[in-house]
Order: sequence, then structure tokens, then C-alpha cells
Amino acid sequence: MEKVLGVYICTGCGIGEALDVEKLKEAADYYKPKVLKTHEFLCSQEGVQIIKDDITGEGVNYIVIAACSMRVNTDVFDFDPLKYVVERVNLREHVVWTQPPNDEKTQWMAEDYIRMGITRAQNAEPPVPKTAELEKTILVVGGGVAGLSAALEASKAGYRAVIVEKGPELGGRVRKMKRILPSEPPFDRPQQVQVDDLIKTVESDPNIKVYTNTTVVSIEGEPGMFDVTVCPSEQVTKKEIDIQEEVKKGGPARFPLPECSSPETFRVGAIVFAIGWRPYDATRLEALGYGRIKNVVTNVELEEMAKEGRIRRPSDGQAVKTAVFVQCAGQRDPEHLPYCSSVCCMTSLKQAQYIRESNPEAGAFIIYKDMRTPGLYENFYKQMQDDPGVFLVKGEIQAIEEAEDGSVTVRFENKLLGGSSVVKADLVVLATGMITNMVPEGKAPKDLTDEFIGVIVTKQTDTGPVDELVPEPIALHLKYRQGPEMPHLRWGFPDSHFICFPYETRRTGIYAAGAVRHPMNATEAMMDGAGAALKAIQCVELTSEGKAVHPRAGDMTFPEFRLESCTQCRRCTVECPFGVLDEDEKGTPQEHPYRCRRCGTCMGACPQRIINFKDYNIEMMSAILRELNVPTEEELFPYIVGFICENDAYPAFDMAGINRFQLPPNFRLIRLRCLGGMNLAWISDALSKGVDGVVLIGCKFGDDYQCHFVKGSQMANERLGKVQETLDRLMLESERVALYQLAINEYDKLPEILNEFMERVKEIGANPYKGF
Amino acid sequence: MADEMVLSPDIEFIKGVRAAGGDTVKRCYQCATCGVVCPISPEDKPFPRKEMIMAQLGMKDALLASPDIWYCHNCNDCSKYCPRGARPGDVLGALRQMFIKEYSVPKFMGSIVTNPALTIVALAIPLIIFLVVLGITGHLHIPEGRIVYSHFFPILYVEAIFIPLVGLAGIAYIVSLRRYWNTLKRVNGTEYRMNFGDAFVETILEFLGHGKFTKCEANRDRRTAHLLVFYGFVALFIVTCWLTFYDYVMGKESPIPLSDPMKWLANMGALSLLLGILLVIANRTKAKGINTKSSGFDWTFAIIILLLAITGILTEVIRLAGIRTLAYPMYLVHLMFVFYTIVYFPYSKLAHMGYRALAITHYKMTGKDIK
Repeated sequence: MEKVLGVYICTGCGIGEALDVEKLKEAADYYKPKVLKTHEFLCSQEGVQIIKDDITGEGVNYIVIAACSMRVNTDVFDFDPLKYVVERVNLREHVVWTQPPNDEKTQWMAEDYIRMGITRAQNAEPPVPKTAELEKTILVVGGGVAGLSAALEASKAGYRAVIVEKGPELGGRVRKMKRILPSEPPFDRPQQVQVDDLIKTVESDPNIKVYTNTTVVSIEGEPGMFDVTVCPSEQVTKKEIDIQEEVKKGGPARFPLPECSSPETFRVGAIVFAIGWRPYDATRLEALGYGRIKNVVTNVELEEMAKEGRIRRPSDGQAVKTAVFVQCAGQRDPEHLPYCSSVCCMTSLKQAQYIRESNPEAGAFIIYKDMRTPGLYENFYKQMQDDPGVFLVKGEIQAIEEAEDGSVTVRFENKLLGGSSVVKADLVVLATGMITNMVPEGKAPKDLTDEFIGVIVTKQTDTGPVDELVPEPIALHLKYRQGPEMPHLRWGFPDSHFICFPYETRRTGIYAAGAVRHPMNATEAMMDGAGAALKAIQCVELTSEGKAVHPRAGDMTFPEFRLESCTQCRRCTVECPFGVLDEDEKGTPQEHPYRCRRCGTCMGACPQRIINFKDYNIEMMSAILRELNVPTEEELFPYIVGFICENDAYPAFDMAGINRFQLPPNFRLIRLRCLGGMNLAWISDALSKGVDGVVLIGCKFGDDYQCHFVKGSQMANERLGKVQETLDRLMLESERVALYQLAINEYDKLPEILNEFMERVKEIGANPYKGF
Repeated sequence: MADEMVLSPDIEFIKGVRAAGGDTVKRCYQCATCGVVCPISPEDKPFPRKEMIMAQLGMKDALLASPDIWYCHNCNDCSKYCPRGARPGDVLGALRQMFIKEYSVPKFMGSIVTNPALTIVALAIPLIIFLVVLGITGHLHIPEGRIVYSHFFPILYVEAIFIPLVGLAGIAYIVSLRRYWNTLKRVNGTEYRMNFGDAFVETILEFLGHGKFTKCEANRDRRTAHLLVFYGFVALFIVTCWLTFYDYVMGKESPIPLSDPMKWLANMGALSLLLGILLVIANRTKAKGINTKSSGFDWTFAIIILLLAITGILTEVIRLAGIRTLAYPMYLVHLMFVFYTIVYFPYSKLAHMGYRALAITHYKMTGKDIK
């Protein structure tokens, strides 16, 4: 396709008053555009019509719009991405709104951005989407209320669903409950469990196929073509191995996947992962009397007792006159569950009601750390608090001992009144917390390895022993290079931002729902199921159109691998936050394009620069850097290039502009899809060109990360650890490169960050490569 | 406070608090606003939050030993600011009512008088006694001639009924107060900074000015009303004592002539009581933006006092008007209310006087009293 360049400079919104537009045109004219026009109101109907006319009249297909931020007027400057390359040069927010008007330095900046924008466009090509007729059935792993709700919602939306339940029946843990927490306004009283109706609806739905007593033994492929192998649960054989021993003997550092004597394989498009939860292992709570004292039970056990209508002392079958609920039995305790399970307070209130109903003379003490009844559950709390037989006491348990008559003496520090209090109870109920079923049997959440749940083995290599994490198979048994299960953020909960991006996981096409994702109650789990089902539907639809899912939903580009130059270093396969790439035996990456989220972390990781996108590639940034007119030390010092994340840092700069913050004139910003795409080659390109410093601004990483691609900015930071090797060659100081973490709302920190970095570069002095 | 509290689910006690006007007791979520806004709560171990918790937990024994619930002057600042509508002021009021009964000797008297439903019984007792005495002695008719109440109901009979009963009530009251005081000392006994005598005298002197009431914000008007009632009773008490002296020592026959200064005091006392109790009732009925409800116990007592004042004044007015057929029955009715007020005082709301005096005395002795 012949590239026909059209450059359009808008002079509205103060651009024309602050800049010398004629000189801007001169800068653009250097690239011999077929069309070069200015307009005082480019986003008007008339302005856009000019561009459209040039597309038809002049055949313009590379459109450079020098006007406002790429984040605004996206509906106005909307041209078919498969036919046209559109580049938005941000003269408004990033230049005239943050720089003094009619200043020489402001003018340089604007001209630099025009050159950079045109170069960026010239190095891009419209993408060629990979569309295919794909399978759109939704697989639901787990038949609890979350899974049932997911399958039902998928079916209602017109999609087929398959539920695979490991156990003999649907309904999960909710089916074993007497009542569920309040599920409808005003959220003040527990409700009857309706799960049997839900199961009937699901079983009679022709769009839903149900497998019970069935285990998923392997999943391979990618969205739209996941090949799922299932097996009757009793025929699954799991080879137990001692991985340490195996590795010592020279075996592979990999757990074998389960095997099956009569497997069945079918294809699905996307997966809802709803394997649920289980209670924290109360046998670890001996200090609270469990296992040691007969009349100490867990809340799960009490629920069963209530369901069967036998709330009695387990020791002698006597009626319960006094019950004590011990809240946070293990939760919010670094020794057991470091987190709050968010439902136990309300569960105990609900169960206190059972106690009161079983005997109107009975009293139920609830000894809590903090009573947590979020949102409208406050109404439930009020309701139960008003019961004369429910006693809420803030306290810390000091001792739980068995008395001679079988009753239990609970001694606790009374935080409300001071001193110790003692209750002689017939029954003590431990409000144990929820752990996700991602946690392997026998393990506690606090003991899990970072990122992937597994075992650390010591491998002997040529350079000595190396510790390596071997991920464990748990539920999905993915045939993925990075391991058979999803990464977790903490405590086994599958990793994705649970507030900003619910249901997302780090495995494209697999969406987590229900208590596997974070502790929640039955009503929330059902809502979760619906949410995850809609996510799964989005996934199969977008994928079949060759489009990316969250967070670059609709993006039709794909990374392209020039494999003939691959050195099998495996950085791309290791660093990909989404486990997209598999490997052959040699370590050559194997593509699974529909798993890809298009962040470009692989591109940034590749030392051979063989991974590129049509409109986002190594050469593009190198070319942009080459086009910079690096000023002399006298003209502008220091001269700094910034690589910024377009999700958070770029809009932060926009907001700095909207708020008319004055920013230093020394920075030239290059936006990246994610800081994870930052390739070290660019740093050496920039510095060898005479640029004085390179600043990287990306999202926060760590436990409370904000990166849309989970690990992008963290990967960039790790790469930066190796930047010295690159700079050694140039005999330059690694201090010339720095990474800053910035949240989208921290735009007010930008002046400070930029000035701080400038001062740092000033101290190092000018880049000696200037002028070469 | 004892080192270790044994908690047991005393649901009956909580139900009792709720029935006595503290229906919101379980609502408290321990934010401590009440203790902060209370103008007379001490800095160390403030109330009423603590009492709310104890009441919620059914800790009756601990509450029985509390000086705080009696130290409370029922300003209702706490109820005004309580974000949960738990009305601590009313809860403390309910507790006081329950404990008047709890400490009462004999218990059945407490049970009758503190129960608004049994007010009829409480009033019927003196009426029956009077009618029986009058019937037996042949006085059950309206005497001829000038209206002199002792012609109808000889003073001797009145005193023969009242003096022993008031004496017994006084003894019962002292026993009750002693029990409270002993509990107070046993549970809260610390080093005292003041001896009982000095503290008690200081307390009584403070009563004369109603100093603590001035600290109230939400319910400031109550001071005037309470003062009028208080001084009304003081005046009438003095006159009643004087009457005994007048009859027996000076050998004169009541009524005291209108020119006598003692009669002036009596009339002023009656008017003060009437005005005071009317103000009390007005205060309780008018909406002041305070979240409070008066209990049946409170209402019963206020109405009895109102009727006491009205029948007293009418007894005098009708006598002066010379309407014999009305005067004597009115006198009988008035005597019935007098009986209720002075014979039942250890069991009625009036009993708070002694408990509050002891609580404040205890406060002063421990140095916690607010200045």
C-alpha cells in the first residue's frame, strides 16, 4: 500500500495564539506530505470533512492530526483502523497548555512533536486482523451458585454453556446452608436458600450441559478454541511425586498433569472459573479449642447442625442455653489467614438467630475484633443487635477451656469495658474464614509461593544451584508454558485487579467468579457469575472478530515474531504477564494470538528486537529518536526523552495541561501501550543521539499495582536493572535513566517529578555524545 | 471494677430494661458520643456508654453498684446527640426505676409502686384504710357547721395512720439506701479523698442551688421546674412539721388562720409545687428535638404530684368557700395522694433523692465530682 501522508494542524483551543503555525508547517513540510493544512476548528464537522475529502480526493491514508490529546475527540477523528493510520500529535494539553505562549522553547517542543508524530505514523501500517469462525460455548468450571448463575446467564444471552462439577451434585456449599445472608432490600433478614430451584432451571435448560462427578484434566489452546479434556472424577489418577527428588535425579521441573482412563474432549470459547471456597482448616486452631473440646465447632459445622435442626451440645445432646461465637477465628492473623473474609460477621449474626430460634431463652455472644457488615448489611446488623438475646462484645480471646460438666469456659479481654470477661458456654462456634479452592489441599494461604502456587526446587546448573518455582496443578490443568494454573496475587486469589477489573484473570479467556476470586457471600457470588459470563461472552465475540479483549478491547494488531533471528533466550515467554507464549523444546516461542492482550511486554523484553506490531514496533521508536533535533547545551539543557504509559501517565500529563500546570520545556514524551514494552535498545538509541536523560513513567507496581497489564511497569523496572550493561558500552552513567511510578490521579506530582529528574541530570552534566 | 466479669445471658433483665422505657438499649454501637457530650460525666471512666454496654450485656449486678446511673441528672444531652437513637438518657432512667424496685424493702411494695399498671391498687390501699377507720369510728358522714377537717377525720386518727407508716417507710428507705451504699463501696471502693460527712453536707448544699442542672444543654428548662417542685416539697414539709407542733405543743386547732406566716409558707409551697409540676409536664410533652420518651413510671408520678397539688389547693379553696359537701370528700382524696407521696416515697420516683445524694456523695469522696 502506498503511503499518502496528510498533515492537519489545528489552530483552535489556543494553539494558534501560542505557536508560530507557519514554522510548524515548515517542520511538517520536510516530510513532503501530499496534503498539509491548518484549520482553526479541526474537530468541527467542517474540519473533519476536509480530512474526509482528502481521503477520497487525494488518497490520503496516513493521517497526522496535530491538535488535542488522543484521548479526546475519539468519536470525531474516527477513521477505519484497517485502512488508515491515524496519529494524534498532542499540541494542546502537552504543549500550549503546559508551556509559556510564543516562547522559542515552546515552539521547539511543538515542532519536535510534529516530527515525532509524522515519523510514528510513517513507521506504522494498518493491522491485518486474524478473524476466524470460533467456538463460542462457555465452559463453567464448578457447579456452585456462582457457576450455576454464570451458565444460566450465558444461556439467557443465547450462548451454550457446559458446567463441569467435580462432586456428585450441583449447588455447592450454599446447598448445605439453612439460610443465606440477606439478598434483597432492605437486606435486614436472612433468606431461604433457593438453590434447588436454580439447579432445576439449569438442568432443564437445553443450552446448558451439566457434567457432575467430572474433573477437568487438561485445557489447551486459546480463546475461541480451548480444547478441554474432562474425566469422570473417580477415574482420574494423579501421580504423586516428590518434585525435589525428581529434579535432583535430573527429571523435569514439572508436575505431571492428572491422567484419565476414559477422557472426553470438547472445544469451548471461553471459561468461567468458579471452583469456590472452603473453610480454613480449623484443626490449626487448637488454641481456640477445636479438636480439643467437643463443644467447640466451626460455623460451617453449625450451619449443618442448623440445617438438620439439631442445635445441641455435641458432647451430650443437651440444649444450648449459651453460645459463644468467636469471630476472626484465624482471620486477620498473620499466623493463619492474614485477611478478612468479609462474610463471617454476618454469618455469625445469622447463626445467632438459629441459636435464638432453637431456644428462646438462649443467649448468643459474639466476640469480635471489629463488627464488619459492609454496605446495606448494616440493616441486618441493626436487626440482630436489637435482639435481647444477642450480645455483641469486642474482645480478644484469652483462653478457651473445657469445664467438668462439658461446657466451655471462654475467657476474653473485654475491649469495651476493660479487664477479662468469662462466659460459660454450651457451644462455642469458631467463625472460620474462607480460603479459595486455588489453595492446594493441605496448604495454608500464608504459605503459598509468590505469583504461582507451587514448590521451590533447587536445580543444579553449570553455574551452580538455582532455586526454581515449579507451579502445581490444581483445577484447570492448563497446558501453558508458565504453568498449569493461574497466577495469584496473594493468598491464592487469582490475580487481576479485583476492584478495577473484576472477573479478569491473567489468563485471557478465563474469568474468575465467586469465592475463588475473593471471599464473598452467596448473593455476591451469583452476581459474580453473571458478570463473569458476560466477560466470557465479550471474549468469544471480540476474539472471533480478531479483536483484543480488556484492556485494549477492539485492538486488531498482533505481535509478529521474526523467528529466524530468535536466540531462544525465553525472555518473552517468561515475561508475558498473560502466559500467552508457549515454547518448543528448544525454547522458541510458540504463538497463541488469541491469548494476547497486545501490551507489547514481549517486544520490550526481546533483546533481538524480533517482536513487533504493525503499528507499534522497535524501529518506530528508534526512528522517532533519530528525528529529534537534539539542541546544543547552550540552547536547551538538559534535553530529556520520556517514555510514558498511555493508560495512566499520558492522561496524567493531559490533566496537568487541563489544570494549566507549567511543566519544564525539556521533555519530549513518547507514549507506550504499557511501560512493559520499553526496549533497552531505545535507551541506547536516545543516549547515543546526545539526549541527556531518559525518564520512564509507568503505573504503580507491587501488591497494590495499578498496571492495566498487571506486570508491565514492574518488568520495565526489572529490565532497568540491567541498563548499566547497555550503558557501559557507551561509557555513560546509568543515573541518566530513571523510572517513576505514577497513578493517574497524581498529575499534581508531575512538575515535581520532572524537575527532580532534571536536577539529577544537570548534576551528571551534558551528554558527551551531543553533536555527533 | 472486678478483675474478671462473668457474663451470662440475662435476657429477662434486658427485657425489663426495655419494658421500663429503655427499649432502645440494644441499639448502642459504642461510639462514645454520649460520654463526650454529657456535661457532668467524669473524664475517668465516663458514662453513659459504659452503662449502655453493661445494660446490653445484661450485667445487672455491675449496674446495681453503679454510682453513675444516679449521678446522671437526665439532661438528655446524650439522647440528643446519639447517632443511633439509642437514647442513653432513657435507658438510665429505666435502670433507675428498676433499681428502686430492686433495692426496695419490702420488695412487694417496690413491685406495686414501680408498676404503673398497679397505681390503682397503690391508691386504693390508703382509701380503704381511711374508709375503714372512719367507718369503725363512726365518722363516715359529713359533719355540720363550720368546715373543720378534724371534725371529719380527727388529727389523731390521721397521725395514728401516717406516723407509724411513714416511720416504717423511713426505716425501709434507710435499709435500701444502706444496701446501695454498701454495694457502692464494695464494688467501687477506692481510697477516699473526703470523709462521708463533709461530702454529704456539700451534696445537700449543692441540692439547694441545683447546680448540676445548669450544666445541661438539651434540657435546660428542667432546672426551674425541678427547683419549684423541690422547694414546694421543702416548704410543705416544714409546714407539716409545724402543724404537729401547732396542734400538740401550742394546743391550737388547725386550720392555721390565713394571717399566719406559716399559712403563707404553706400556700406558697402549694403553688410552687403546682407550678413546678405543670412545668415538668409541659417539658415532657413539648417537642424539643430531643429523642426521648417518658416512661409510664415517670408519667404516673408526675400526675400523682399534679393531683396532690390540685387536691391540696382545692381542699383549702372549697373550705374557704364553705361548700361542705365537696370539701370533706376532697380532703379525703387529698389525703390519699399525700399518703401515696409520703408513705410510698422509698418506692416511687421520689426515692431517687436518696440514691442520687449518695451517688454524688460517693463521687465527691472519690474526687470525681465535676466542678
